[in-house]
Amino acid sequence: MPATSRTYWLTTPCRLRRQDDSIRVERDGHPPTFLPIEDVRDIIAAAEVDLNTSMMSLLNKHRIQIHILGYYGDYAGSFLPAETAVSGTVALNQMRLASDDEHALPIARALIDNAAFNIRWVIDRKLLTRSYGVLKESIAEATTREQLMAAEGNFRRSAWEVLDTRLPDWLQLDGRSRRPPRNAGNAVISYINGILYARILSALRLTPLHTGIAFLHATMQRHRHSLALDLAEVFKPLFAERILIRLANRRQLKPQHFDINTNQAMLSESGRKLIVQTVRDDLAETVKHRTLGRNVSYDELIYLDALALTRTCLEGSTYTPFRVWW
Amino acid sequence: MITADDVGGVHVKYLYHCPRQLWLYARGFRPEHLNDAVQLGTAVHELSYSRFSPVDLGAATLDHLDNQLWVHEIKHSAKRREADHAQARHYCHQLVRIGVDVQGAVLHYRNPRKTERFPYTDDEHQKATEDIDRVLDIVAHAESPPRLGRTSCRGCSYLDYCWSQ
Ligand code: SF4
Repeated sequence: MPATSRTYWLTTPCRLRRQDDSIRVERDGHPPTFLPIEDVRDIIAAAEVDLNTSMMSLLNKHRIQIHILGYYGDYAGSFLPAETAVSGTVALNQMRLASDDEHALPIARALIDNAAFNIRWVIDRKLLTRSYGVLKESIAEATTREQLMAAEGNFRRSAWEVLDTRLPDWLQLDGRSRRPPRNAGNAVISYINGILYARILSALRLTPLHTGIAFLHATMQRHRHSLALDLAEVFKPLFAERILIRLANRRQLKPQHFDINTNQAMLSESGRKLIVQTVRDDLAETVKHRTLGRNVSYDELIYLDALALTRTCLEGSTYTPFRVWW
Repeated sequence: MITADDVGGVHVKYLYHCPRQLWLYARGFRPEHLNDAVQLGTAVHELSYSRFSPVDLGAATLDHLDNQLWVHEIKHSAKRREADHAQARHYCHQLVRIGVDVQGAVLHYRNPRKTERFPYTDDEHQKATEDIDRVLDIVAHAESPPRLGRTSCRGCSYLDYCWSQ
């Protein structure tokens, strides 16, 4: 992605207005700030945001996306500019590959295998050796996407049990719960996954891939951007589980970062800020890329993975989803 | 996929730089707007030669056609490239096709400011015609052409795409 422009994160409620070729950000009790439009690549709104039509046409003109996270940090929706990097050939081939199990299943298998590999790397290599072996066997035998998803579900359940042993009582997941998250740990995971989903969608929109055509998740059923869910599989552990473990170990997460009721939990305002800041910093972290021979940020890894999938659709090359190598 | 009439200056430029780049571009996959070097190229256009008026030829846009019917092309790179000459030659060919009695092409290099002139001769016309055939030939292949040697890829907007694995 271009180095000159950036992702802007809105963590406090605000109003966005157009002023010439700048975005005027108005917050209660603050003087307005201005973002020159060229500096903005995309916007992630993690708090309530008020937009009007002229703002939207400015965003559209400059191909800027805005992603909106809901109350629990789950992905609520996006404003996506009309014009994207369309390529008829890519979309057609993508459709062809996705609708033919002979091509789609190897991609789906690779996604699950590498997702599990990454989870294991983040949580505990040793304790998850056996579960990973079981997963490998079941995905080799699976002949449908549903069977693959079921195998992955089993692996993730074992992984979360191990994860719980590394967390203090109050942050344990005790099984995954989403809308609403039942406890603090789940609230963190949901929130990070929501942000990640938005980032993946941004990266996909820079490629000619169709975000609604997926290889593992059911294409466009219930979900408009199922391809983002596919890619999220391999990146979630690098962010969600990893950050949860780290913040717990360093005792950076505290009960006051959450609003907890009897049967649900959500991040408080300060909790949200902590998480957004942490994810931002992690996205900017870099590693030396093996074949590009330069440092790439974690954020860029997402884009490179989307490019690799584009290559598969355009040239039929084998897709190897992201797998931690460092 | 594309016909002779659709072949534009960019196709010809890529033909000379890298057939694979041409093949990818012709399939509508164009990551140019992601590449900082390309962004710089666009900015240079807007800033430094504003007295020129671009001419839109449908498949191609050329920077300027003067009163004496010379095609002017602006290059922001200091390096002289065969691809630039071929691209300008192609514009002449397109103009001739629509009945403009073009004299030839002038390439303007910005840094240092220098110009090169290429009168449009029969020989040039012949070469331009051959280039179009070669473009169509490469684009028609089902398989993508192989990558160039890594060092020739520097600055190419497909670099991340071609080399990230
Ligand atoms: S990166 Fe290299 S191989 Fe790929 S299109 Fe560009 S020049 Fe050709």
